Amino acid sequence: MFKVLQKQLIKGFITFFIAVSITFLILRLMPGDPTTMLIDPRMSEAARQRLLIDFGLDKPLITQYFLYLKQLFCGNLGVSFVFRTPVSEIIRERLPWTLALMGITQIITMSIGIPLGVMAAYKRGKLVDQIINALSILGMSIFIPWLGIMLLFFFGYILPIFPVGGGYTPGLSVSGWGYFLDVGMHFILPVLTLTIIYLANYTLFTRASMVDVLNEDYIRTARSKGMEEKRVIWNHGARNAMISTVTMAGMLFGRMVGGAVLTETVYAYPGVGRMIYDAVGQQDFPLLQGSFIVLALSVIVMNIVADLICAYLNPRMKME
Amino acid sequence: MNKFRSYQQGKWLRIGQSFFEHRLGVIGLIGVIVVFLIAIFAPFIATPVSGYGEVKDILNSPSLEHIFGTDALGLDLFSQVIWGTRISLQVGFLVVLIAALVGIPIGLFSGYYGGWVSTLGMGLTNVFLTLPLLPLMIIAAAVLGSNINNVALIIGLFSWPQIARITRAAAAEVTGMQYIEAAKSLGIRANRIIFHHVLVNASAPILVNLTIVVATAIISESALSFLGLGDPLTWSWGKILHNAHRSGAFISSWWFSLFPSLAITFFVVSFNFLGMGMREALNPRLRE
Repeated sequence: MFKVLQKQLIKGFITFFIAVSITFLILRLMPGDPTTMLIDPRMSEAARQRLLIDFGLDKPLITQYFLYLKQLFCGNLGVSFVFRTPVSEIIRERLPWTLALMGITQIITMSIGIPLGVMAAYKRGKLVDQIINALSILGMSIFIPWLGIMLLFFFGYILPIFPVGGGYTPGLSVSGWGYFLDVGMHFILPVLTLTIIYLANYTLFTRASMVDVLNEDYIRTARSKGMEEKRVIWNHGARNAMISTVTMAGMLFGRMVGGAVLTETVYAYPGVGRMIYDAVGQQDFPLLQGSFIVLALSVIVMNIVADLICAYLNPRMKME
Repeated sequence: MNKFRSYQQGKWLRIGQSFFEHRLGVIGLIGVIVVFLIAIFAPFIATPVSGYGEVKDILNSPSLEHIFGTDALGLDLFSQVIWGTRISLQVGFLVVLIAALVGIPIGLFSGYYGGWVSTLGMGLTNVFLTLPLLPLMIIAAAVLGSNINNVALIIGLFSWPQIARITRAAAAEVTGMQYIEAAKSLGIRANRIIFHHVLVNASAPILVNLTIVVATAIISESALSFLGLGDPLTWSWGKILHNAHRSGAFISSWWFSLFPSLAITFFVVSFNFLGMGMREALNPRLRE
């Protein structure tokens, strides 16, 4: 287990290093003066000079790169053009909203998607399987903003059950349970949107690995021992199919970030995703860069967790 | 040789037959053909829109004159959606081209040589599969400027990992075959073996995945356009949705967002169904 953790940490570190290097390259490779991209043109001259020195924008590119890394590891992500406050502070406020949205979606999609996939694999080629397949691909193909708009239209406008956006009711001065309930109501439509889209990934992936597992010798052995079919499928089949599904769950987290950006944009949800949308409109490059770096880091951490769970599930790895 | 050729023909015939047995795959194929027909015959279906419409035409609901209604500038939405098909195919084609040019060689070399080449190639692939790519594409598009070719270039440069992974798996399987060993012992240069023998024999799963890359490319393009990073001079479907969201009329004027969204969904579903049908037809393990 310790070995697995060590390996994952090294992998995560390399991934993070590549991620920050790519952003450096993208932001410095563009034509024109990088200072205009990273430092607000409306800033006072003294503040501008200080930032120039902080990020070493007056030095050669390679020195700039190392200074950029140094600043990053000190947690300095620059200053937002629009808010004029450190990027890290703005993101710290927004990140929990996005992580909560994605975490809850992840839990729901896994607990519905995996059983559906197992069922589809077991009934492969039958009507149930075809319906699950068709609905899964349909779900994957829906454009997220549209799904968001439709859900808003039906459940916020025609049948006003849920609020039409935001993360909480502004000005509502309740605390404790009432606040929790209010946030929860704002949560449902965004979570539903992401769930509909990403459920298919789990269903299809579990189906594929379950189809393989059901062809394995140990399944035939279990059956020929006269084991109950239910136990063969769930204890012997699904458990093994889940190992590859959990590995994929880590990767899916990265893709779900994209979905979260779109969902939060439609629902005006107070997370990092909506902030990215606003930052695009305002050409706030430090904020964009900071959001990517923080989101990349979150995804990397989730991947390490997924791989550890995977190692725990896989008896072959436990023996090592 | 003749015997081999007829065996090969028989193999493709069987794959074709099993493709047509798969209902979803056939639906996808028909959908893709429809998309191509609309793109080719766009000039005969609708006149392209430009500039501003008349004030009386602003946000009209669907009517005989404007069957998809009009947008906040008073322009015909039917025409925008039809011409958007061309943009989507253009983006899809460019993305696949770039992704294939980067992904296939990485996958082939990793699969053929194995060892550290594979560790390096697949390590890089996994890094890109792990990272949240949409925010990265957003930054790149914001920096590079959002003309439609730039957007396609950016999406393509971040779409290769899927292809690299599939190619590596297929190439590794082919490399283990005896005819590759035979080619090696004949002293054929490695590059020739890789790009002739391995690539040709590994091409089926790669082709399947190219259709899925087209589908994801359109979702990415629509997402970038929706977030305001689309080409201001073109009418892509995501761009129409951006205008709808921007105008604040996306709930009261339902047709504004409905038709471009249906177009995106139709396009993506068709390519995904096609890819799925092809995959089931090609995977001997899934065939009884």
